[in-house]
Amino acid sequence: MSGQLGHSGAARVGIGGPVGSGKTRLLEQIIPRFIQRGTNIAVITNDLVTHEDAIRVRRSGLIAPERVLAVETGACPHSAIREDPTLNIQAADLLEERFGPLDLILIESGGDNLASSFSLDLVDFWLFVIDVAGGDDIPRKRGLGVMQCDLLVINKTDLAPYVGVDLARMEQEARQVRNGRAMLMTNCATGNGVDQIVDLIAREVLFED
Amino acid sequence: MITITHILGNARDHAISQALNHIEHDGRLETIVLDQQDTQRHRLRVNTDLGNEVAIALSRNEHLENGSVLLLESNRAIVVRLTLSQWLVFETRDIAAALELGYFAGNMHWKVRFDGVRLQVAVIGDPTGYLERLDHLIAEQKVIHVE
Repeated sequence: MSGQLGHSGAARVGIGGPVGSGKTRLLEQIIPRFIQRGTNIAVITNDLVTHEDAIRVRRSGLIAPERVLAVETGACPHSAIREDPTLNIQAADLLEERFGPLDLILIESGGDNLASSFSLDLVDFWLFVIDVAGGDDIPRKRGLGVMQCDLLVINKTDLAPYVGVDLARMEQEARQVRNGRAMLMTNCATGNGVDQIVDLIAREVLFED
Repeated sequence: MITITHILGNARDHAISQALNHIEHDGRLETIVLDQQDTQRHRLRVNTDLGNEVAIALSRNEHLENGSVLLLESNRAIVVRLTLSQWLVFETRDIAAALELGYFAGNMHWKVRFDGVRLQVAVIGDPTGYLERLDHLIAEQKVIHVE
């Protein structure tokens, strides 16, 4: 007797990080890659008082607009992905009901700072995106997101020379505070490094090799 | 790789317990060691203590716990074992310091439990980071790190 039945629901993956770090751009890079792999996906975006990110993803033409739901948190965005993720759980359930069986639901949470994190009741795996232009001291600040996420993404690597950031040192310090946990460098404007993120998600929660 | 989408029961269950005893005797009982935090996940890729890869993909209403049985065959079983959670224990100098510590722990979103006059903080990862965060309160002797 083994615990093997049918489809158990879509994998749910969180994408968090500070405002302007490139979360939505990362989404726009990830979506076509998963679609090309044949992954059946849907997306949830979280915004404070608008549907800005959802509208942007719907208009991108990368995914059927009805597969993108917006959660308007109204106040502290941390609460909607951590303390009380009910709104996001309901949105994910709704997407599974409408488009299931889905393989993957990507849940982006905008407007968060370094202290945000995802409840594992909501997601199975979560990324935290920071960017070079935000300052090379971000890893040293040991924010909850940087420390606890399953994958730390350092984005906008191309901007390092323009903002006086020592990229090698930033990477080294990030690896140090992460203590061996996963970390990747990206330039989401060009897609550099995004394939590795997709491969890691596919391996860890879609169980592809 | 074995894919598991359903928890069969718990090693404490009488019928399962008897079957596991036989399998363990033959050395075919495999364990998956998880920390408390990972039991909240519904999808994860792990290895058993014998090095076999297991993909766990549970429905949202199923939850891993200590003793969850994922595979039970006549000569082989896979069971989840939880590592013990680490807790940092603190006392405070007075009520004002207790309020300050409580506020701080809440603001950090730490998981805590109360033990009389002591506050216990669940450690995820390296405990050093927690003590560094409390350094200002410990240095002023408002908070005492007991253990």
